[in-house]
Amino acid sequence: MMKGRRVWIAGLAAAMIAMVLLSAGSPNGAANTQQAAPATVEVKIDNFSFGPATVTVAVGTTVTWINRDDIPHTVVSTDDPKAFKSKVLDTDEKFSYTFAKPGTYPYFCSVHPKMTGTVVVK
Amino acid sequence: MSINPFDIKSALLAKHAQHVVLIHFPIALFLGAVAFDYLAQCKKNRTLVEAVYFNLLLAAISTVPVVATGLAAWQWALEGQKLKGILLMHLILGCVSSALIWLVFWIHWRVRRHPGQSLPKYRLPIEALAVLIVGLTGHLGGFLSGVNGPG
Repeated sequence: MMKGRRVWIAGLAAAMIAMVLLSAGSPNGAANTQQAAPATVEVKIDNFSFGPATVTVAVGTTVTWINRDDIPHTVVSTDDPKAFKSKVLDTDEKFSYTFAKPGTYPYFCSVHPKMTGTVVVK
Repeated sequence: MSINPFDIKSALLAKHAQHVVLIHFPIALFLGAVAFDYLAQCKKNRTLVEAVYFNLLLAAISTVPVVATGLAAWQWALEGQKLKGILLMHLILGCVSSALIWLVFWIHWRVRRHPGQSLPKYRLPIEALAVLIVGLTGHLGGFLSGVNGPG
């Protein structure tokens, strides 16, 4: 009777130790809360146009432009002073900008000014 | 947003527009001059040589604003950032084209100062090379501007 109780207590203790060890091994411990991944939106540059030409995003969103065209392009804010301005993007190069304030951000390609787009941040 | 084709002010003051307009003058004048020069060489025609000289003069002069506006577009549109790829190749070939046009003009100008002299035959391969480089530069320029591409 006594022996059986000891075995039961030892088993319970082992299980508790195992739980503690397992929880300690997890990345964030017991308080493991998943942080929401920052929102990202991709704008493709192809065939002398931005696609989609207008994107509406929430504050804090990162917009990434990727040049899928065969020729170089830029992404330059129309506002003065310029909110953002990329270097010349060759094929498959990217440019990202995080919009921290609400507003409407028109932009264009300075190599081909007829290429225009808008980011609306709400 | 559409562009009004009759909005002269916008067209003239656009920070990139002058180069793509002006570039057609030296290209046309130089290609015409070379065509006339080859014809003059075959026909031994002095009148054509005169036409070649003035075409080359105007072609060489017109390269000055073309190079200037090209460099200005680089500064204005791209804020002078380091170029690479097609843009860099276009810049280098453009400068080489301009130098070759001036070289061909200089050969003709030097001979013209001495009426007894005839034009050296070595100018013909130089002119052919210059036509090739000018054509390549123009092709790259058209590609960059979207004229030679799907846009």
